[in-house]
Amino acid sequence: MRFEFKFPDVGEGIHEGTIVKWLVDIGDNIKEGDSLVEVETDKVTTEIPSPRTGKVLELKGDAGDIIHVGNVFVVIEIEGEDSEKSSDSQGISDSIDEEDKKKELDEKEEVVEEETAGVVGEVVASSEEIPPSTEGIESPKEDIQTKKVLATPVARAMAKDLGIDINTVEGTGPNGRVMKEDIRRAKEEHLKPKVKEGLENRERPKTKALVLEGSPESEDLYERIPLTRIRKTIAEKMSESRFTIPHTTAMDEIDISKLDKFRKTYKEILKEEDIHLTYLPFIIKAVIRGLKQLPEFNSSLDELNEELVLKHFYNIGIATDTERGLMVPVIRNADKKSIVELAKEISDISTRAKNNEIDLEELRGGTFTITNYGSIGGYFGIPIINHPEAAILGLGRVVEKPIVKDGEIIIGKVLPVSLSYDHRTIDGASGARFINILKDLLMNPDMLFLKS
Amino acid sequence: MTNKLNLIGAVNQALMNEMELDETVVVYGEDVGVEGGVFRATVDLQKKFGEKRAFDSPLAESAIVGSAIGMAINGLKPVVEMQFMGFSYPAFNQIISHVARMRNRSRGLYNLPMVIRAPYGGGIRALEHHSESTEAIYSQIPGLKVVIPSTPYDAKGLLIAAIRDPDPVLFLEPKRIYRAFRQDVPEEPYVLPIGKAKVLQEGEDVTIVAWGAMVRDTQKAIKMVESKGIKPELIDLRTIAPIDRETIIESVKKTGRLIVVHEAPKTLGVGAELMAIANEKAFLYLEAPPTRVTGFDTTFPLPKGEKHYIPSPERIAKTIEDVVRF
Amino acid sequence: MNFKDHNPLNNKQYRILDFNGEVVNKEDLPSLTEEELKYLYKTMLYTRMIDDKALSYQRQGRMLTYAPNTGQEAAQVGSAYAMEKEDWLVPAFRELGALLVRGVPLRNIYLYWYGNEWGSHMPEGVKVLPISVPIASQYQHAVGIGMANNIKEENNVAVTYVGDGGTSHGDFHEALNFASVFKAPVVFIIQNNQYAISVPRSKQTASKTLAQKAIAYDMPGILVDGNDIFAMYVATKEAVDRARRGEGPTLIEAYTYRLGAHTTSDDPTKYREDKEVEQWKPKDPLIRFKKYLLNKGVISEEWEKETLEELEKDVVSTFESIEDKSDTEIEDIFKYHYETMPPQLEEQLEEYKLFLEGGK
Repeated sequence: MRFEFKFPDVGEGIHEGTIVKWLVDIGDNIKEGDSLVEVETDKVTTEIPSPRTGKVLELKGDAGDIIHVGNVFVVIEIEGEDSEKSSDSQGISDSIDEEDKKKELDEKEEVVEEETAGVVGEVVASSEEIPPSTEGIESPKEDIQTKKVLATPVARAMAKDLGIDINTVEGTGPNGRVMKEDIRRAKEEHLKPKVKEGLENRERPKTKALVLEGSPESEDLYERIPLTRIRKTIAEKMSESRFTIPHTTAMDEIDISKLDKFRKTYKEILKEEDIHLTYLPFIIKAVIRGLKQLPEFNSSLDELNEELVLKHFYNIGIATDTERGLMVPVIRNADKKSIVELAKEISDISTRAKNNEIDLEELRGGTFTITNYGSIGGYFGIPIINHPEAAILGLGRVVEKPIVKDGEIIIGKVLPVSLSYDHRTIDGASGARFINILKDLLMNPDMLFLKS
Repeated sequence: MTNKLNLIGAVNQALMNEMELDETVVVYGEDVGVEGGVFRATVDLQKKFGEKRAFDSPLAESAIVGSAIGMAINGLKPVVEMQFMGFSYPAFNQIISHVARMRNRSRGLYNLPMVIRAPYGGGIRALEHHSESTEAIYSQIPGLKVVIPSTPYDAKGLLIAAIRDPDPVLFLEPKRIYRAFRQDVPEEPYVLPIGKAKVLQEGEDVTIVAWGAMVRDTQKAIKMVESKGIKPELIDLRTIAPIDRETIIESVKKTGRLIVVHEAPKTLGVGAELMAIANEKAFLYLEAPPTRVTGFDTTFPLPKGEKHYIPSPERIAKTIEDVVRF
Repeated sequence: MNFKDHNPLNNKQYRILDFNGEVVNKEDLPSLTEEELKYLYKTMLYTRMIDDKALSYQRQGRMLTYAPNTGQEAAQVGSAYAMEKEDWLVPAFRELGALLVRGVPLRNIYLYWYGNEWGSHMPEGVKVLPISVPIASQYQHAVGIGMANNIKEENNVAVTYVGDGGTSHGDFHEALNFASVFKAPVVFIIQNNQYAISVPRSKQTASKTLAQKAIAYDMPGILVDGNDIFAMYVATKEAVDRARRGEGPTLIEAYTYRLGAHTTSDDPTKYREDKEVEQWKPKDPLIRFKKYLLNKGVISEEWEKETLEELEKDVVSTFESIEDKSDTEIEDIFKYHYETMPPQLEEQLEEYKLFLEGGK
């Protein structure tokens, strides 16, 4: 078998040597200890003896050539050794862990024992080079805050268990931290549209079955209709809101005669652009003004942590009547949109809601809701808060009414409003103040434009 | 001008540079003078600067460190060698009772600009007591700085910084990689900041902190997991005390995961401190438990067992995968 | 005097003044001026006064633990007086008299024992290291100072102290060995006050004398009557001069007695007989020196009375100047560990300050 003789470190820590002359020829039979070559290094000129007995197969390099420590320079055919061991090479002490060494040699051909100074132990030496230091070379820093949401490990674990990507969940905790509640909510919303069976299969609190008068039930007198998915959701949401939030409602009438004039002036113009200008965009603007001035109306109560979570964004839900029941699509960042943009978006979402084309995503994340039952009829109402929001504004039908102005009775346009709010976090005085803000702005639309 | 040096050569050159520039720098210890140190870190210093500034001392670690304290108070900058970290314990009293405290004890009157060098760590198939990694023990002592380089370039810059530092520095040299590789090193003196870690490789999936010889093994482990699409960020801690918290925190906030690799035993090691930092300062970003890959809570085995003790690239790679997939 | 004439193995104390204040070694009597003699005696009285007051304050609950020096004044004052201005003093913790001679203000001394690090911040030009508590460790610092003097080719000497117990320490022996090998200009003084807390000198070592330990390191070692101020001064002066001449270190055993307790927390009646203490009382270094000075007409009882009054005023006013006014500044706890405070220390300081201010 072949034995590859690697050029050993003949001095203390040398790396290379120059072949002065070969002392054997290819084909020569040699004995262990016979000189093979004369080599000159920066420390010594010396003859290198053969580590094995056998026949010279290859001599690598000619006189004058440089050979590197660790490179094979003589190949010898030897007899009587098993082939597995034959791949071993000279230059490595047998006393040390062969396997480790071999692995290192495989990794990098140039690994050699250069010097093992240390009186105790063996320091592995190599002439391998590593790249120069990059000290002082700045690599462009990416914005590290962008990717990861803030969350406690418990919330992360919960998200993982429920199969929710926590980075898509909107956090309601301090600095937008994702709380356990947020994950729970995300999960619920996640289940609603996508998994039809989800709701049916969900374990529900055992409520009593309704027992009707007159037994046995007569099909003539009663009819049992299974609740639709959306109806069940509405029922749940309404109960949740009604039973957790102590509602209180403030009502008032607002003279919007000036606003009506203004609206009428532009309604026709905008119609040409296919934009339907209702009172609603103006009311949204006024509401946002109110929310900014009285931030508790744009908040949620975190009961568990006993904290009021104020939201610094304004997503206005628009309660919309559809064939399948009530839906509340959300206008995002309504504070940043113009009257015209709002008008467009309102007609867009209400149309799509009615046509059942609304995305689930568009029903999420509201911070305040407006319900316009007046478009159908009715004057005052007691709207139910869209939990976990803090308040909801109900709009009644705008009517012409006699009003007293400067001591004279005149006919004006009157908008009846009903504001329900979470009485745990909002006092009655604040409710009145909120309505006053709406009133001031809607009565004087000039102010509305000046202030928003 | 640069030269290609291995780590021991870089240490030697740093000493050469500083002794040339500053005649108050003196170097001594066991076998340091004539022989140039058992690992040749101080070779040729005596030839060049004479017996007064580079000399052999009697075999007494406590007195080596104790006398260095007196020298530092009396206007010199001694750089003393503990032949092996495992032999530094006779000097432990001097180090923790005086070296670390003199400045505070004298309310800033006596500062000690001194360096204690020691080869540390295992992997050279040596006798007992020659493979210690007890950096954590020293790193808890207020008033001490503990520095560990992982490359020739860093070794030179950090050692020169240590010599110039007005405060005492324990400079631990990973002897396993004394001669394992070479690197371009400027011939002229330069300093690297003590107390500053270095991000060796940027990544987004997990932050790995290592130092000394474990940096190389960690780099090998990273190569293994990169093929599986994992992009780790590697930080060379470089200074163990005081720890560069900022770099660690910033990285963990980015990756959400932390692995500490060290050769020393697991329990109450430097890794525990790094995990505590992640916990205190990046809690809300964590996506997996901060984790350690370390030596065992055992005595460092004699040579036939040492390959089991030092975390192998494979062991590190396995942990990286586990943590990323947590 | 010549160290060669005083073989420590003979176990004979080098002495100039006997217990009665009579000169027994005229040849070696140092030629000190009247002013110098008065200064030495006054400093011994000062040392005793500071001790007495500190013990009293401690018992009144106005002072913390204190290590008294009573009985050892001559060993301390005499040796330190042999030093020159540029020499270094490296104390253990019972060298009050030596510190005073070397210019450490009483304010520093009381501040230290009162529990404030500023006590160890020596005034400009006072080349005295802080008190060193770990036994014998300071010997090595003195060696390093001496080695540095050799390297820098400066002519200073380091004088350092240890107790009899300290001679059992490895650091003691390593220091002597180093100093001898490197011919470091160091004077090693052992205040052999017969007790290491409760353990008597006889249990520390089987050596006949502590001074004989010098023989192993091939340096002069001399056993001196530590209660004889002249003997201490002369022996130390010769050792200091030797060191300055480049002849290397010397070991001096000051044979003395701790008349008081180890510290105010120690009760010596548990481990030694009153009889023994009574036997040592007549050997009190102050009595001996006073007799000599009175005989020579250098001082009078009147002078001593006035001096004591003057010293008492100084000690009381110094103590009162620090009492209840020396609480450590919070910043000071953090500020002096490194030249620049690392961020973690800064944070800990800030957090603690916030806490104190009632913040979060």
